[in-house]
Amino acid sequence: MIPAYPLGLLVAFASAGIAFFALMRETDGLHRLLLTDLIEVVTLAFIALVGTDLAEALILPGLVVGASELIALSEIYRIKEGYTRPPADSLQIEVMESAPAILAAILVVYGIVLSGFSGGAVAGLGVIFYFLCRDHNERFELIETASGYSWVLWIIAFFVFMIFPEYWFFAVMLAGSAILVKVMAKMSLIGTMRGGPNA
Amino acid sequence: MNTTFILGLVILAIGVLSVAFVRPKTYVARLINLEIPAWGLLLVMLAYDEALAILTFVAVTAIGTFVIVRLLEWRDASC
Repeated sequence: MIPAYPLGLLVAFASAGIAFFALMRETDGLHRLLLTDLIEVVTLAFIALVGTDLAEALILPGLVVGASELIALSEIYRIKEGYTRPPADSLQIEVMESAPAILAAILVVYGIVLSGFSGGAVAGLGVIFYFLCRDHNERFELIETASGYSWVLWIIAFFVFMIFPEYWFFAVMLAGSAILVKVMAKMSLIGTMRGGPNA
Repeated sequence: MNTTFILGLVILAIGVLSVAFVRPKTYVARLINLEIPAWGLLLVMLAYDEALAILTFVAVTAIGTFVIVRLLEWRDASC
């Protein structure tokens, strides 16, 4: 019987090799973007195999950096290829007319219950879904202001940890809710990427 | 080493093959096949009880799919 960790490493290395081989042979830009996504998934398996809290702590920033990298690369690819005409509003899906309010409410409430980084991600997903399905006339400066203030609260929470360690619970709550608002605000901006003057 | 872990590794390997050598070679087929290795990774994470990582991975995968579908929409509108 082979132990779990070497077996997992073997599979992950083989998969990464195949993925990089496919990326090497690919010439089309959009296909390469998709293969970059595949390589992200495979290499995250290396970290997941560690199987401790360290793995969890390393996966979170890896995922966030991966998402922002994907968004940035897709924008660069779009500009480079000259896809400048916004897509027509031809998508008529019944669910996207009726569901957004309920689904967004459930996701946001669950995100607030989770709090912290994952809570921000879940709540942000609800907000993205809402903005995607409905018309958006939101004010970007308001979202940016909320995000900036929550960042300040996060820093303050860290100072509380350093200077008044006895109030650690207050600092945990402050940091958790601040990072919730921060991540949610940033992610909700993605929901508005539909073209138009602000895109 | 349990069933979830082995199943995760098997699905990961199958998924990587299905994305790397996709037939028919279209963007949408590759995008849909990308879900298979993601499932494998989720099962591996599940075997090690990495709940936070699973939640965030699900959210980020949804965003990634959305970003690429949006890119495809722009491509269809302009070509």
